[in-house]
Amino acid sequence: MWGVHAWLMTLAVAALAAMPIVTGGTYYAYLGIIVCIYSIVAIGLNILTGYAGQFSLGHAAFMAMGAYTSAILTKALVAIPFFAQTGLHIWLGIVCGTMVAALSGVILAVPALRVRGPYLAMVTIAFGWVIWKILQEWVSVTGGDLGISSIPKPQIGALRLETQAFYYVVLALFLATLALQQRLIGSQFGMRIRAVKHSEIAVASVGIDVYRLKVIVFVISAAFAGFGGTLFAHQQNYISPDNFQFFSSVFFLLAVLFGGAGTMLGPVIGAGVLILLPEMLHDFDKYRLIVYACLILITLYYLPKGVMGLVLRPGKQRSAPDQPAPRSADAIAALPAITGAELQIENISRAFGGLVALSGVSFGVAGGSIHALIGPNGAGKTTLINIVSGTYEADNGCIRIDGTETGIDSMHAAARQGIVRTFQTLKLFGDMSVIEHVIIGMARRSRSGLWDAFINSRRARAEAVQQLREARELLRLLGIAHLEQVPATALAYGHRRLVEIARALAVRPRILLLDEPAAGLVAEEIRALAEVIRKLKNIGMTILLVEHHMELVLSVSDRITVLDHGAVIADGSPSDIRRDERVIAAYLGPSHAAA
Amino acid sequence: MSRTTPLLRLAAAVAVASLGAIGSAHSQEPIKLGFAGALSGPASFVGTEIKRGAEIAIDEINAKGGVKGRKLVLISRDDEHNPVKTVAQYRELVERERVVGMVGASNSASMLAVAPIVNDTLKVPVICPATDATEITENDAKKQGRENYVFRVGMYGTGQANFMVDTMVKRFGHQKVGLLNWTGGWGVTGRGELQRRLKEHGLTPVADETFDNADTDMTPQIIKLKNAGAESILNYALVRENTFVVKTKEKLSDNTPYVSAWGIAGPAFWKAAGTSAEGVLTSTTVTIDGPQSPERMVFINEYRKRHNEDMSAAVFAVGAYDAVYLFKAAMERDGVEPNQIRAGLENIPEFKGLVKQFKRPVFTRDRHNAVTEEDMIMTRWTNGKLLEVKFDSKGPFVEIDATTRKYIDKATMKLM
Amino acid sequence: MYFFLQIALSGIATGAIYGLIAVGYSLTFMTTKALNFALGMWVMLGGMLTYSLNVQYGIHPLIVLPVVTVALFLLGLVAERFSVYPFLRAGSDVWVMSTLAVGFLLIDLAEIIWGRNPTPVPPFLGKEPVYFGPVSILPQQLLIIAAACVTFIGLDFFYRRTLLGKAFRAVAHSGEVSSLMGINTRRVEAMSYAVAAALAGIAGFLVVPLTLAEPQLGTVLGLKAFAIAIIAGLAAPRGILVCGLFYGAFEGLVSGYLYTGIRDILGFTIMILALYLRPEGIFGRQQVERA
Repeated sequence: MWGVHAWLMTLAVAALAAMPIVTGGTYYAYLGIIVCIYSIVAIGLNILTGYAGQFSLGHAAFMAMGAYTSAILTKALVAIPFFAQTGLHIWLGIVCGTMVAALSGVILAVPALRVRGPYLAMVTIAFGWVIWKILQEWVSVTGGDLGISSIPKPQIGALRLETQAFYYVVLALFLATLALQQRLIGSQFGMRIRAVKHSEIAVASVGIDVYRLKVIVFVISAAFAGFGGTLFAHQQNYISPDNFQFFSSVFFLLAVLFGGAGTMLGPVIGAGVLILLPEMLHDFDKYRLIVYACLILITLYYLPKGVMGLVLRPGKQRSAPDQPAPRSADAIAALPAITGAELQIENISRAFGGLVALSGVSFGVAGGSIHALIGPNGAGKTTLINIVSGTYEADNGCIRIDGTETGIDSMHAAARQGIVRTFQTLKLFGDMSVIEHVIIGMARRSRSGLWDAFINSRRARAEAVQQLREARELLRLLGIAHLEQVPATALAYGHRRLVEIARALAVRPRILLLDEPAAGLVAEEIRALAEVIRKLKNIGMTILLVEHHMELVLSVSDRITVLDHGAVIADGSPSDIRRDERVIAAYLGPSHAAA
Repeated sequence: MSRTTPLLRLAAAVAVASLGAIGSAHSQEPIKLGFAGALSGPASFVGTEIKRGAEIAIDEINAKGGVKGRKLVLISRDDEHNPVKTVAQYRELVERERVVGMVGASNSASMLAVAPIVNDTLKVPVICPATDATEITENDAKKQGRENYVFRVGMYGTGQANFMVDTMVKRFGHQKVGLLNWTGGWGVTGRGELQRRLKEHGLTPVADETFDNADTDMTPQIIKLKNAGAESILNYALVRENTFVVKTKEKLSDNTPYVSAWGIAGPAFWKAAGTSAEGVLTSTTVTIDGPQSPERMVFINEYRKRHNEDMSAAVFAVGAYDAVYLFKAAMERDGVEPNQIRAGLENIPEFKGLVKQFKRPVFTRDRHNAVTEEDMIMTRWTNGKLLEVKFDSKGPFVEIDATTRKYIDKATMKLM
Repeated sequence: MYFFLQIALSGIATGAIYGLIAVGYSLTFMTTKALNFALGMWVMLGGMLTYSLNVQYGIHPLIVLPVVTVALFLLGLVAERFSVYPFLRAGSDVWVMSTLAVGFLLIDLAEIIWGRNPTPVPPFLGKEPVYFGPVSILPQQLLIIAAACVTFIGLDFFYRRTLLGKAFRAVAHSGEVSSLMGINTRRVEAMSYAVAAALAGIAGFLVVPLTLAEPQLGTVLGLKAFAIAIIAGLAAPRGILVCGLFYGAFEGLVSGYLYTGIRDILGFTIMILALYLRPEGIFGRQQVERA
């Protein structure tokens, strides 16, 4: 299978290389260059939109930043004989243009990525608009609406590259960009990027600073677009604000969606088709927008994975194998002994609008114990878990770990202090595989970063092997090792719960918060869950369990705290709680309390 | 200059040889002219007028036997107002369709993108009926003394700004000139040109205002101009923006003379602005209102017959019509190869065109703009008609019909 | 002082247009957390229909208004079914592109039906300006400011007193709960798009005599209105109207005292910063995401 794939790729590259010679003239070579350049920009957008799930309708602006920077710089430098002879100004322009685009990416990303959805779309539109306006208004630098002409042509050494020769340079750079995308997305860093698309909260829960991650992705994406822009400037020898209008940004997003967002070749196919198709059909100009619009709607409607969705056989979808692998008793090796921390909750209050969810809640969770938190619906249990795990901040009160105040203000901060949670309503990473979920959980302990991903360093490879081994152990511990390659969406409900727990365990928490882990499980699965919880206690982990399933609670807990209407009404051993009248009243109504 | 690989040279040689082989068969093939411009989107009126004007000329020529016994055809492409596409289509039309001449494009940015490729690679003559950016014809090839393939029969930037300023300052005697320009499109460039020309007269604009695409109410700008005591207001913008300007002026009962570049020199402006447009001046090369020559009347009627409407921008249609006839003249003089046509264009001694009857060479090696400042005309919107403003000893006037002259009040542009 | 008052008043009149359009975004955002990205094109459609009926067929504006409203309401229902509902159900964000696609479709259809040249629609109340001292304003502008005021009051009435409005609020609060309460959530969501389209149509009806009837009529207006809705907060319809008026005045004052060329640069930059400081908008309340 892989052989066929490699063959096809080689064939495609050979065909692309032979194209200008076969066709002759400059027309096809020129179209080839434009497709390659637009593909580079679209690949950048694909990383952001396709993989990380963040829409941008302002990518033409980053392309403009690259193009204008390189154009202005090289035009100034070409007058110096040294540069004119060596051609270094072109490469300097490309590097600087890419960097300026990346920098403007930072400037936009910092405010923009605080918001999502339509807000993010608007911010990127606004940015594109502002840049476009500046290009028009700052006449002394940008040439205003008439743009910059006589931009130096690309050259290697003293050799000027005409259209055909430049085609090969751009083709090589385009293939390199494609390879870079593959590396990035295939890396551990890439897994985190893909996870963000499905659940930002879950990514934060394993200790990753999602905001920072998104900013980095945005900057990478902007750099790709800027890089494409620099090539564009030197190819065209002329640029004007016309090239970088709102519609160009729409074009790139359309290319990504049409080709297949979140696929390696999707943006390339999208850009290729959308550029070449109108060239071939000359007679539909009057209906151009209608054709575009219908293309968008049909793609979105019938091809959620774009054209690539048709090519990538759905048969490749891995489904769960029938035979479960045996649960391994010694798999606990995956989790070395942990000194579970002591958790102190002091006088926590929280209100939403006028509604008081928690008022002055205090209790302690002993290190290395299993502590259950129970109470009727609306008692404030989930709110409390949310506060402890950093999802919300408390109005007042404080949380101590081993006696020191934590000052947790975000989920990733909580995870970094050793507090990790699971979610009552499952938050898995869409169609990512089970093993990927676990590996993402290890992000905090990962030492290889973005750069390792790009160069595929030895450190990154060694770490990947190590993480894979550890992740498999963890899956064996939970009895889902046979599902390691199955996409989360294809899992049975009970297995999904276990994947959540596996992901949380991969962080190696000192305090594990389980938010209704038994919800939706059948009796046998609950028994297995109880066994896992006990094992975790045995290695020393502190566990705070929020649960409705009383049998589970009573069988595993060392201590139980009962909440009702946002206040603690009882706190004691399981046998105490079983007899507590206020608890019975709260659960079953006052009439039962007397009985 | 440029080095080509042996392989490419071989390919070129093969191509040339094969062309030569079938060359004789080609002599009865039609001669192809090309056009790549906006035929869709908001600017499509420009492209559509050029295409229609050129088509009428070609059909006329073909009806009379064509050029050297060969028919002419026009191959047009929609560049969607996108310079990237214009460049691609120029390459396609020249290399694959083998057109021998191009009738420009519809926006300056496209022509600026195309010009270096035309001169360096494609080497096919281009005559632009629209696109007024000065650098289109004053390009690198010209500056470096190489052969310049780009010609123009329309307005050109520097010349038009000079003409507008000179007319108002010298002929109307206005020393306090205000500017009000569009911040998009050619408004920015136009504004720069107007500022330059005023400076050459030793003047500075008394107020220098701008407006935007989205502006529907120009109140702040008009009041500022009025407060600054502007005697006339000079403008670069298109129909919709100027409609809002004249409507705002009417709302504020402002009578300051308003002079605009050729963006509103077509009936579309009157249709949009109605009587609010009365008295607005426009510089242009052609108006099809008022008394017309018989040749023009033939063209105007033919256009009306074909499309069942009046021209929305006569300058472009008329310019494209003349461009085709200029190609014909050059081809008949010097031959039908692109370089022969280019040389021919520089040597046409005189030319009876619809834009103007040129009693001098239309182009020379150094001057690729057919229309010079002396050929431009100032026109006044008068009761739905764009009438040429002429001058005699009693001052500026317009001819309402063959017998009626109405003089213009220089301070308000009202008819007396 | 005259200068200040005149440009501020003109600015407010423009701002009222923005505000009227911008309210439409919030209607659907509240019920579905999605919106019609191309609302400006719907404004255009309202304007073009007004042009056809009023200018081409000579129908009185008072009859044109209900016809346009109903037509856009129905078209809105249809568009929602095909360009929003399938994607909402799939839980994806691509409605950004699909609604935009419908917008492109409308522009191209309008170009084919009505042509591209801008044509005027006579103001409903004549074109003689009304004077307040030296300050002048067109009657049509007054009409739009009045419409904005009516909408401001009407929104409150709609959300608190009418059955549909209450249903909108219930769905906005929690789709699950309201469907438990017997509200047909699906119908309410579709209705919110239809109402938004109808409002856009009314805005188009009111605006077209001030602008020109042309296919590009709504593009920039819609975009600016969207910016305003975002600044104010999509969940605060009345805040959006207020914000619209202020933004209009801001634009006028920047043009008057600074320079038009930097107006949008300034405006949009402020918008980006405002979102950074208040991600839910100036008038928006912080949304609590249930974990």
